Amino acid sequence: MANEPTMVNGRGWGDQDHVPGIKSELLELNMGPQHPATHGVLRLLLHTDGEIVYKVTPVLGYLHRCAEKIAEGVNYKQWVVYTDRFDYLAPMCCNHAYVTAVEKLMGQAVPERAEHIRVATSELSRIASHLIALATFGLDMGAWTPLLYCFREREEILNLLERISGGRMLYNYMIPGGVRYDVPNDNWVADVLDFVDLMEHNKLPEYNTLLSYNKIFIERTADVGIIDAKTALDYGCTGPVLRGSGVDFDCRRDDPYSVYHKFDWQVQIGHGEKGTVGDCWDRYIVRAREIEQSCRIIRQALQTLPDGPYQALALKAIVKVPAGAAYTRVESSKGELGHYIISDGGQTAFRNKVRSPSFCNLQVVEKVGVGQMVSDLVALVGSLDIVLGEIDR
Amino acid sequence: MEQNAIYELLAGALGDGALGFTENPLEPWAAVETAKVAEACRFLRDDPRLDFDQLMCLSGIDWDGFDEAGKGKSVSILGYSDDGQPEKSDRVATGDLGVAYHLYSHALRHKFTLRVRVTRESATVPTISGLWSTAAWHEREAWDLLGLKFAGHPDPRRMLMEEDWVGHPLRKDYVMPDLWNGVPLQGQPYCANPFPVESGGPDKPAGDKPAEG
Repeated sequence: MANEPTMVNGRGWGDQDHVPGIKSELLELNMGPQHPATHGVLRLLLHTDGEIVYKVTPVLGYLHRCAEKIAEGVNYKQWVVYTDRFDYLAPMCCNHAYVTAVEKLMGQAVPERAEHIRVATSELSRIASHLIALATFGLDMGAWTPLLYCFREREEILNLLERISGGRMLYNYMIPGGVRYDVPNDNWVADVLDFVDLMEHNKLPEYNTLLSYNKIFIERTADVGIIDAKTALDYGCTGPVLRGSGVDFDCRRDDPYSVYHKFDWQVQIGHGEKGTVGDCWDRYIVRAREIEQSCRIIRQALQTLPDGPYQALALKAIVKVPAGAAYTRVESSKGELGHYIISDGGQTAFRNKVRSPSFCNLQVVEKVGVGQMVSDLVALVGSLDIVLGEIDR
Repeated sequence: MEQNAIYELLAGALGDGALGFTENPLEPWAAVETAKVAEACRFLRDDPRLDFDQLMCLSGIDWDGFDEAGKGKSVSILGYSDDGQPEKSDRVATGDLGVAYHLYSHALRHKFTLRVRVTRESATVPTISGLWSTAAWHEREAWDLLGLKFAGHPDPRRMLMEEDWVGHPLRKDYVMPDLWNGVPLQGQPYCANPFPVESGGPDKPAGDKPAEG
């Protein structure tokens, strides 16, 4: 029964004799919605007996803004701004997912220059998002210093993206058929190339020294919250969570979109170096190594930035999408971000279902969280790197 | 494997339950009988030639008002007309509801799309949460937002809306309720002045009055 606490090690919730002579008390605990370790307004309803968690029930919806309903009432171009608010730590990836889906339905070709700019900005956004993931995961584990270091580099990325899009955190930058603005004339490309060099060769080793290979951090995260590959696939986990479990899959390579096929980079997976494959440290290190790969992609995308238009010239103010339905997915920073858009030829989508990666990734705590200590549950949720904006939509 | 070849295998296993395959350059899809969808999914997952190990997406759809000819009109949502006034529609929706399943195989790298349709009255689809655990939350979301019931679901609660919410917002005939637990939801002017000029300004609290005598 889903509503009954699960058995752990042959004992159910409320078997009070597991330490002879010491009576434990059954607790229903609320972790969240206002809790620093839940990364937003997530509420986890815990059934605990002592420190052991017997059941985890995530309670969602505190950030629900009915974006899918709004998609049925505003036209395709207007809805780009709502995608920014899904994964507000990597809005460029969300823009990219949506415009890719609309373009697929329209059969709209995108200029090569726009695709390169999109890839570069998406990957910058991915780095910014992964920096937050590393920083807040460290914070959950009691490491305060890396947070300041990661936010320092994230600030640089926000400045770069502000120069190209005009927005610091929410960009509304990509439109069906291209991007809103061309690369600015103020040496932007050279500055981004300088930044990725600095990031890859200087800052990333710094994080690794500070956090990744810190003995206390490894003790705290290795062999904790193990998600094996079968469970990850069963629960629809994607992105760094799936790759951390050792499954070699990345939409950018295996279901190619945009111009990712032109660049030379590698998909990073967890190998269980410090513990077991699929533990919290594996998910962490996959993200750290993906920053390096993103730097490589950005460098190639901008060094080979072609000349030409940055928008499809024939594009009108209101895009008309012919009737049809298609599911399109891209690799956002959190995993597979899919849009299932059904059009009946009108100005608005008939139905726009968003498959958000955090929504599917979070569900796995219902299984993996059982039997953990409460403190390890914090590590597990932190290593999943959820964003409530796209869970609740 | 190509999608039409997958459909051939599926039709062989399901018999009458397979209702046809629609070739489409964007996304081909197969229709199956609603009662047979769990059986179809089990076959697609377990057959070694197909091996669909991931349910990418499960989407509930309200097909009411869908223009088959591809000349759809834009609609107003959230019960507001163009000039911002709340509007109540008494249109009764009669169209079918539907569910679309998007499957992917990591081992064989192929995709498949299944669709089922149910009438508005029954609105019941067999659950597939026993096949892919990820379906459990997607199905709860479809129940929450579209009012699709999933027979045999282990935890059929709402996902995103409040548990005592009335109605299913993504239905095409949804009208937002006036009140939720005493909180006005619509029909309020966007920026009302709480102290209109005619009323003579805010009433002063009794304690602020100067003592007489």
